[in-house]
Amino acid sequence: MTAEQNTVHNEELSVVDSLITESSTTQDEVARMCAGMILDGQLAVLQRQLHADFLKIPTSFQLPPNYTGLDASKPWLIYWPLHALEILDPDNQTDDILSRIGPSIMACLNELEGAFGGGNGQTAHLAATYASLNALAISRDEQVWSQINREGLYKWLMSVKLPDGGFSMHIGGEEDVRAVYCALASAALLNIITPELTEGTAEWISRCQTYEGGIGGAPGNEAHGGYAFCGLAALCILGNPVEMIPKYLDVDSFVHWLSARQYQPEGGFSGRTNKLVDGCYSWWVGGCWSILEGVLPWITSKDVLWSKADLQKYILYCCQSPRGGLRDKPGKSSDFYHSCYVLSGLSEVQHRYSFRPKLRESKSGEWSFMWTYELESPDIVIIDEQNVVGPLNPVHVLPAGVGERMHDFYAALGTLEL
Amino acid sequence: MPLAYMSNYSWEDIAPIPQDDGGENPLAPIAYQDDYKTATGYLRAVMSVEEVSDRALQLTSDLIFMNPAHYSVWAYRARLLFALKKDLEQELIWIEEVGQQFPKNYQIWNHREVIVDKYHNPIRELPFVEVMLELDSKNYHVWSYRQWLVRRFDLWLTELPYTDRMIENDVRNNSAWNHRFFTVFGKGVDIGQSVIDDEIDYAKRAILKAPQNASAWNYLLGVLKRAQRPISEIEEFCSDLAAATGTEQSVDVDIDRIASTRALEVLADIYASRREVEKATQAWTLLAEKYDPIRENYWKFKKAQTDQHFTATA
Repeated sequence: MTAEQNTVHNEELSVVDSLITESSTTQDEVARMCAGMILDGQLAVLQRQLHADFLKIPTSFQLPPNYTGLDASKPWLIYWPLHALEILDPDNQTDDILSRIGPSIMACLNELEGAFGGGNGQTAHLAATYASLNALAISRDEQVWSQINREGLYKWLMSVKLPDGGFSMHIGGEEDVRAVYCALASAALLNIITPELTEGTAEWISRCQTYEGGIGGAPGNEAHGGYAFCGLAALCILGNPVEMIPKYLDVDSFVHWLSARQYQPEGGFSGRTNKLVDGCYSWWVGGCWSILEGVLPWITSKDVLWSKADLQKYILYCCQSPRGGLRDKPGKSSDFYHSCYVLSGLSEVQHRYSFRPKLRESKSGEWSFMWTYELESPDIVIIDEQNVVGPLNPVHVLPAGVGERMHDFYAALGTLEL
Repeated sequence: MPLAYMSNYSWEDIAPIPQDDGGENPLAPIAYQDDYKTATGYLRAVMSVEEVSDRALQLTSDLIFMNPAHYSVWAYRARLLFALKKDLEQELIWIEEVGQQFPKNYQIWNHREVIVDKYHNPIRELPFVEVMLELDSKNYHVWSYRQWLVRRFDLWLTELPYTDRMIENDVRNNSAWNHRFFTVFGKGVDIGQSVIDDEIDYAKRAILKAPQNASAWNYLLGVLKRAQRPISEIEEFCSDLAAATGTEQSVDVDIDRIASTRALEVLADIYASRREVEKATQAWTLLAEKYDPIRENYWKFKKAQTDQHFTATA
């Protein structure tokens, strides 16, 4: 494939149904709108400075009162923009910003329970704990790392573990695949994974794969891009992904479902069958591709199984907000969540990840830190200097090297008596 | 106007705990409205001592209307309701008001599950769920809640007719199709072949209405696979929809008459399962080059996978 060819797909014969329903009406509108914005030839430029300015808002200003709806997601309001800022340009991450992460996150710690909540004085919660630890990884703040009570956090994780192998988001909270991923990713960073913590969990994830091939939030629920990533990434923490993925997932049907997520002419991914494309699935679905390509040699061969060029176009033409920040689709406002996962998706497009287990016997809890990357081949996607963003760890959704450093810090402290 | 928790109760004995965003120069502080700032100050104070009182319950009501995503408030509220032995039906009515006002909020579903589980009576549930699905027919949390209800109270009988209706409204509503699959297979009992036949017919009729509809195709193929029936069973159906004719060696697609590219894809799989590699390759090539070029590499991969398989087993 030449560079010219990888930019255009316009010779298709389209087969379109005449029956109109609510789903097809909204789909047609979005397809038309996106097609009108995506131009052939030269790529749109990534508005790096504009996005950086948007992402620095939480570091420079008080967020306006309409952010109150995210008052129970404070650690996310720190992790999302700071992760995005770093892959956009590592120089954005000043010492001043990094030094403020520790105190801001530690204010969310629920000392009585032993894990992090969505804000000061809030109940400990798995999503908040995941976002808090990711933010602390980005801080590189070893002084704060050494303050974390890992025994206490481990006990709390065990308290939200359920007898069927799954996890609930908080005591008395909902059980879903997100909770599983957040629990395992947190435990991996802190190097506190034990057989008790993970017993029955891979089997539980396996039960969440649906007849469509994707993964739902819980057994029986509809296949969904976000949960698909959480389930797949969790398997990559639970053991050697080369063995875990084919053992617990029907890979052929998973790949079929994943492949159907990319739409034409938009080029972006949808999260579920017959739903609209949304920029955030550039990561949730794209991240699944990264992992599969890095783990399963028969998928890695030469070409990736989907169109990276078309996703990059969707991101650059349709997901950049003129006011700065990244968005779901044209007509929507940008926000920190979409900025984080659209830019992670762009990073995913531009890099090829490989799972490289170390030669010596690997210990449990290390599996998600053995990823390497290289820039994607120009035969597959055009990457110019203006648009390139940094690499990441595809299991933890952290800038490459950052989670590894935190894990190594705790590994060096030796084994905990758990 | 002061909020109900303030006007109805005295808080003089409570010292509010102010918000602490961490350090002198915290990241992502929010400029809260005064009402919210005051109410969360009292919330932290009563939650820190796990106060069980009517005023705390009223405080949670007021706070939920200010920020329904505040999961700690919901969890505290559930503990209060049980400890104070409150009328749980009143709570269900109250949740319905919150749900209508904040249709996208999802914390209410876990809360409702906790309440209904204790209340042991699902009488209000399906009507409320239906109202919420009318507002958003693909609301993931509402469908998940419905599945929980069906399992918890053994409500399987209502479900097939309900998915009929939802699929009738929008044949592309994948959540309704997924719920149908759950309804047919989720009970975990043996299903007779006649039920499988009915579901295959149902999916086929839906496909004929909109032959490109992935939801109905996924369902049809999912049912066949679950029932361990071969996809070759639907070969004629697929050939018609793909306008495909051919011999043992080659397949010909009438580009003016093809109604479903998914049918062509399934045909390729049927051919491959019979080792008619040449015909399967022709179908995948058409998909890669003409009908579905954004997935070109996936179709090439299917072909390579088949070649490899037959080389390995030859």
